[in-house]
Amino acid sequence: MTQAELAEKASVTRQTIIALEAQKYSPSLELAFRIANVFDVPLEEAFQYK
Amino acid sequence: MKFLNNYSNRELNIWAELILDIIVSIYFFPKIFPLIIDGQLYSDALVGIIATSIIISIFYSVFVFGAINTLTKKEEKDERDYIYELKSYRISNIISQVSIYLLIYLIVFNPINQVRLTDFTAPMIAMLLLIIALLSSTGKSLSQIFNYRKSI
Repeated sequence: MTQAELAEKASVTRQTIIALEAQKYSPSLELAFRIANVFDVPLEEAFQYK
Repeated sequence: MKFLNNYSNRELNIWAELILDIIVSIYFFPKIFPLIIDGQLYSDALVGIIATSIIISIFYSVFVFGAINTLTKKEEKDERDYIYELKSYRISNIISQVSIYLLIYLIVFNPINQVRLTDFTAPMIAMLLLIIALLSSTGKSLSQIFNYRKSI
């Protein structure tokens, strides 16, 4: 899946996905759930707190 | 037009806003300083400079913002955009408030203290408000650009 496709499915901009991947931006709980839903995985599998 | 693809529509708008502030500053300040030195701040020249600055801003806004929004795809704002926007508005608001309180202080306390730093005529106040607007807009744009570039 491309960044643009993920961005569209999660209803955010591609720049936000880039920032998330680079670990430069922490998403809100709602956005984290939306991204986990796109990949159809539980939240803790999509995101981990370090 | 390839370089436009490296920036989002929103970021291009912010850069354009910053460039507008720079253009107005480049026009405005070199024309104002000779007036201050020569004590001509109450002349019609000041009104002309302020009016020209506003006309430059209007033409720039119509053409540049129009071109950006025509050539690039407009994106809906997401939570990150709103957060950065709020941060930048906060900075802009602080700059405006501090400057306006300073201006009020100067206007109110000048007659009381009988210290005639300057006479606050209408063009003079317009000039000071224009400077405040420039400062606050520059602060807002710089803060937004910093936040966007920092997170990529």
